[in-house]
Amino acid sequence: MSRRRPVRRWRVLAGAAMALAALAAIIALAETLRHPLPSGGPVVAERPEDPAADPRTEVVCPEPAPREDAGRDGPALTAEPEPVTVTSTELYDCPASWDGRLIAYEGEAIGGVLTRGDGAWVQVNDDVYAEAAGPLPAHRDYRGGNSGIGVFVPPTLAEEIDAVGGPQQRGDRIAVEGRFHRVDSTSGEVAIIRAERGAVVAGGEPFVDERLPDRERAAALLAALALALVAAERWQAWRRRRAR
Amino acid sequence: MLFRPDADDFRLIGLYTGTVLYGVGVAMLVPLVVALALGERNEALAFVIGASLTVSVGALARMTLRTRATLTGAQGLATVALIWTVVPVFAAVPLLLSGHYLHYLDAYFEGMSGFATIGLTLANDLDHMARSVNVWRHLLHVLGGQGIVVVVLTIFSSAGGAIGTLYTGEGEKDRILPNVVSSAAFIMRVLAAYAAIGLPLLWLATIRAGLDPAPALFHAFTLFVTAFDTAGFAPMSASAGFYRSALVEGVLILVMVAGAFSFAIHYQLWQGRHRELTRSLETRTFAISLLAIMTLMSVGLVRAGTFGDGGDLFRHGFFQALSAHTTTGLSTVPGALFVTDWGVLAPAMIATAMALGGMAGSTAGGIKAIRVGLLVRGILADIRRALSPEHAVLVDTYHAGGRQILRQGQVKAAMTIFILFLVLYLGGGVLGLFYGYDLRLALFESTAAAATGGLSVGIVRPDLEWPLKAFYILQMLIGRLEFIAVFALAGYVVATLRGRV
Repeated sequence: MSRRRPVRRWRVLAGAAMALAALAAIIALAETLRHPLPSGGPVVAERPEDPAADPRTEVVCPEPAPREDAGRDGPALTAEPEPVTVTSTELYDCPASWDGRLIAYEGEAIGGVLTRGDGAWVQVNDDVYAEAAGPLPAHRDYRGGNSGIGVFVPPTLAEEIDAVGGPQQRGDRIAVEGRFHRVDSTSGEVAIIRAERGAVVAGGEPFVDERLPDRERAAALLAALALALVAAERWQAWRRRRAR
Repeated sequence: MLFRPDADDFRLIGLYTGTVLYGVGVAMLVPLVVALALGERNEALAFVIGASLTVSVGALARMTLRTRATLTGAQGLATVALIWTVVPVFAAVPLLLSGHYLHYLDAYFEGMSGFATIGLTLANDLDHMARSVNVWRHLLHVLGGQGIVVVVLTIFSSAGGAIGTLYTGEGEKDRILPNVVSSAAFIMRVLAAYAAIGLPLLWLATIRAGLDPAPALFHAFTLFVTAFDTAGFAPMSASAGFYRSALVEGVLILVMVAGAFSFAIHYQLWQGRHRELTRSLETRTFAISLLAIMTLMSVGLVRAGTFGDGGDLFRHGFFQALSAHTTTGLSTVPGALFVTDWGVLAPAMIATAMALGGMAGSTAGGIKAIRVGLLVRGILADIRRALSPEHAVLVDTYHAGGRQILRQGQVKAAMTIFILFLVLYLGGGVLGLFYGYDLRLALFESTAAAATGGLSVGIVRPDLEWPLKAFYILQMLIGRLEFIAVFALAGYVVATLRGRV
């Protein structure tokens, strides 16, 4: 049985301190190099509270249209004249209230135009990244996850959509009028808008990644260091094998 | 009595952790190639930085911590826990550099969620995220799900038989074959076989859903990985609902089921023993609990008046029930609707399904079907014993790869893990309550983190209070490794501070 060689506590603590220092260095490096560099590009905005995204926020739903009215063509029993302009958060917060009602909705076409039968499915986001702030990572104004809803658009609008949002691409901004359905009786899809009309209100555009010279320098330096260490490790392993 | 760890303990734990980091660094070359191919210049640089840091630390560990000592069981368990803690540190670097995470803690959360196959996300603006970063998020599922520890150490096979302890530490309970290296090779074969079928099917399904072939390939890859690894990340914020396609959902259901089966059952099927599917206690328990959950969920959805049509109820209800029970976390329904439109019983059933989890020896998390099955068998055996004559000798058996005798020790162990999981679920729930969240939501989200379920009702978001983020990270780690490995690592820390020479 081999003799135990307990390590002195101060050495363990020193090792732990070194590990923590290395961790801090990694975090500091990553924070410094994150996109965009602190020296350029838009500044981080003060993060405004977004009560809609917080599940603790009390939501008061508008009076629901009577169940038997859901999906009918005539006007629902509501105080507001239709179409009512809504956000996706309002629809998800009160799906029963909005079920079958004529609404107006606007946002960025995302991901793809999925042509299906007499129309197409489009995910339309109305979050802050679809609005003025624009997509990440072109700025540092973080406002949480995406928020949007699936819209079944008529073929004319589907053909009109030229750009969908995605990596390095801002999608067309579309405005639609249609009925919200908790469950669409035709397709079985959940929480969607079946658009009756709509239009592209602003064209999408690619957003250009800024060149990041600091990141380039850091990548070159670290890659050289890594290659050197890998070469040294391999050489050491080769020598050990040879010695055996 | 606690003994202070010896030098070899630290060397071995550091060496194996470093070796795995070496492998993770090499894995970062995959998204690097994707970034270069797609012209994602800044992301490519991020992966160069991440890979360089990771490989450097790995190489340093391998150069400086060489030892002839072999790994013991306790060291193996502590090593696995340390690997699971440290890998997300490095995995988070390219994530943070992508510009989609507010703080390093958020990127670390994402790294842990990916590596532990959870699926909860703190990404801001996922829908504009670079493809290469998304590939990395999903590759983390593969690395964590298919057991990077075993795979990397199999490649660096000097570890020899010692990796058996790491294998069990990862929560892989069954050594499918007597040799761990051949078990790992079999796991890779299973992955390759299902990928050969699942990937083309998902590609065709997403094309049929309306995507162009090139983006459809990306979507098929990410969906296959997330479904087979019962993980939960998705390339779009709308998750599986983005495709609006029952066909895509159908293929995903098949892949999720395959992913939730233990590799031991895959091995039996591979050997042509198809009856194992119907005879195994684990598959039976899983099928019965899925049926019970689906039934109760349907009752809840009917009561809430969510679906007017039985077909729609089955389509969405079954997908959610299966996604939760396999702890995958894909969703066809926006998470907010679980709260606002699914009543009370249906979301409770989803949380229950996540809590119970999939099968042991798979990538699924939660309590696991075999433990639930053993507990039920144990209770039935106790009842039978109570009703039998005093001197009667009763032997209870169950089927798992063959006929097994039910031992009290197994039932006790299953009960211990069951209770520990309940405490873990409750812990996150209580902390959620402290921050003012509704009990139902707090418990749902806590269960999703600890059981690797990954479905969310909206608590997990970039705005989340940092102590909750930190606690969810801890829950993910403990839940994925099923306690023992984390306890072993904690034991080493305590022994270092308080142990005797």
